Amino acid sequence: MSNTSPTSVLLSVSASPFWHCGRTVRAHRYHTLLALLPAVLLAIWHWGLPAARVMALAIVTGVAVEALCQRLMGRELSIDDFSGVVACLLFAFLLPAASPWWLVMLGATLCITLGKMAFGGLGANPLNTSLVGWALLYVSWPVLMDPNAMQLTTQYIDPLVRLKYFGAESVASISLTDLLLGKQIGALGASQTLALLLGGIYLATRGIIRWEISAGFIMGVVVMAAIFHTVNPVQYASPFFHMLTGSTILGAFFLATEPASSPDRQIPMMFYGLLGGAMVIIIRIFGEYTDGVPFAILLVNLLSPLLDSIRPKPFGGK
Amino acid sequence: MKQRFQILNDPRFHLVYGISQRFSDGPSPSKVRLNREGFTLAQNVKKKAVVHSGMLLAEHPSIEKGDLFSPIYGEITEINERSIFISALPQPPDTPEVEPVDLLQEGLEGDELVMRCKKMGLNTRSLGCRCETLIINGLNPDPGVTWTEPMLNSHIRTFHAAMELHRRMGRFKNVILAIPQGSHLSYDGVKTVHVPAEYPNSLNPLLIKNVTGEENPEGFGCIGLHNLWSLGRVGRTGLPLTETVITIGSYEHSGNYIVKDGSTVGELLDFARIALKDHDTVVRGGPLRGESVDRLDRSITKGTYGLFVVEAGTIPPMEGHSSCINCGACVLICPARLSPSNLSRYAEFALHERCRKEHIDICMDCGLCGYVCIARRPVLQYIRLAKQKLAEKDAQKQREEIKITSA
Ligand code: SF4
Ligand code: SF4
Repeated sequence: MSNTSPTSVLLSVSASPFWHCGRTVRAHRYHTLLALLPAVLLAIWHWGLPAARVMALAIVTGVAVEALCQRLMGRELSIDDFSGVVACLLFAFLLPAASPWWLVMLGATLCITLGKMAFGGLGANPLNTSLVGWALLYVSWPVLMDPNAMQLTTQYIDPLVRLKYFGAESVASISLTDLLLGKQIGALGASQTLALLLGGIYLATRGIIRWEISAGFIMGVVVMAAIFHTVNPVQYASPFFHMLTGSTILGAFFLATEPASSPDRQIPMMFYGLLGGAMVIIIRIFGEYTDGVPFAILLVNLLSPLLDSIRPKPFGGK
Repeated sequence: MKQRFQILNDPRFHLVYGISQRFSDGPSPSKVRLNREGFTLAQNVKKKAVVHSGMLLAEHPSIEKGDLFSPIYGEITEINERSIFISALPQPPDTPEVEPVDLLQEGLEGDELVMRCKKMGLNTRSLGCRCETLIINGLNPDPGVTWTEPMLNSHIRTFHAAMELHRRMGRFKNVILAIPQGSHLSYDGVKTVHVPAEYPNSLNPLLIKNVTGEENPEGFGCIGLHNLWSLGRVGRTGLPLTETVITIGSYEHSGNYIVKDGSTVGELLDFARIALKDHDTVVRGGPLRGESVDRLDRSITKGTYGLFVVEAGTIPPMEGHSSCINCGACVLICPARLSPSNLSRYAEFALHERCRKEHIDICMDCGLCGYVCIARRPVLQYIRLAKQKLAEKDAQKQREEIKITSA
């Protein structure tokens, strides 16, 4: 074929750069869903169909609400970027498997409306989308949101509740393997720690989430817990216990790393992670919430703009 | 493992391609289109005039910009505000020949030599500013561009001629040749420094940093190998400059050619046997910083260093207006340590002064912010727009000040 006639082909004109790394919002969310898949399967394995029901309901509601909001706001539909699916799935991961249907639907609606669309959509939210919905429900219906109060028909125990009311010795006998495998009472997805850990590492190595945040977060939890544990091992549980209970791992890899509500540069990211992790232990020890992770992350979300102001001098230093 | 956690993990960004093949000559164009903006036409250069290769067509008032010569024998078919069009004609045997000038023999030095080079079509501005130490940029400027290694390895005489002429211009005291790490090149009397050959290290500020260890140190300047080659070419042939070296490349194919100034994009791609499909993008310049052309009869100029085809479907398409989702990838990648996300947002909403506060002037125009943007925002385009607006504003202000002081 000849290129000499100027009109023989229709050329696309666009803006440089003309090469691209190939990463897109959609591809990132696919990878995130893939990383969450093992935890989804284990959640169903441990908690059965009720868990599947909660996850499906959250996703369907969230996506429908997102589409509706975009329609009302006169925006282009962008539900096919799967960011709503991921946010709602993460929200579902924080719920007890036995949550009533209206709670799930209300929560997903709140996530999308107040946690995302109210600020202008994806990427503009100062707080983690999934946690906004979770927090609003938690302060309104604390009992319904408490896995220990909701999961009555299980032989598992809630390690954090036991720690809070019976001290570190009572949880010393809980095997870490059980905790890793999700044999504990907890939110349906958050308790699948091993699966989440693997998924999280996958995302970090692919550069989809920032390892600085996850590493900082886990460090924060471990160091803070280690300090207390060393001072008084009878009263305070070991760092590994804290790492593998509640939603620590989910928080470290999937919640704290949400790009919009976390800092952009390396050093701020590490601080942010560390602070978040340390806060988890402080809330668990001194606060009234057993888990502490969601609130710790919401708190550091608020600090994120401040941390972002720690900036290097631009090239050449002005 | 280091690469694993990084956003930038593209083997094409390694600027060493192991190519040593000498440049082939490009096609003899059937028509050329030359840019004449700012030039004064020479006598007898008008429509229907017959011109021969190496004949002066137009002069530029500035010493920094080379005069314009005809690259082919042919007839001027059109002259407008911006361009001169020439159609090739079969060359009769009695065509006048341009007498070669041996610049090296002539012995001119300093500004006289610079003027002489300008009169032979060289853009002397790109030969580097006056400085204490001049660094020759021996890295390929953009990923995908591959002419550096052959220029240094296989066209040594041209290189030497250029070095000698450039020394006589007396614009620098010392010279350093920056070459890729792992390369074994050496030239008598030229100090070489090895730098990591990863894009964007080929950009001048970063090159200087790699050589000196400092950011924007005093007394250093850079010259691109491409410009040095042009100087050497004039030195060796003694003829006015009417050609440029470009890499012509597509996804599978790539080669280096010496092509005539004003050659059309379509003919060059034909010559390199690159077939186009609908919705492909043709890029003049490098794949990261170049510009796409809308028609195949657009031409390349003396400064052009690459011509690339990006096949439809090889990169995710830009989907209309997409807003920044704050993923932070551009912030992490920016070699100038700026926040392209903020810059592009300010530019988007015409807040140009805010861009200035965010040091937009430090941006090196590397294009990496757009390369990594997962929302496929035209980040670089926004930044260029803001820079342009700010420059216009400054020029306007200056004009007003002059008016006030002269009134
Ligand atoms: S083009 Fe983008 S990434 Fe490159 S220096 Fe400028 S702002 Fe930074
Ligand atoms: S890479 Fe694109 S989407 Fe991400 S922060 Fe930069 S401009 Fe925004």
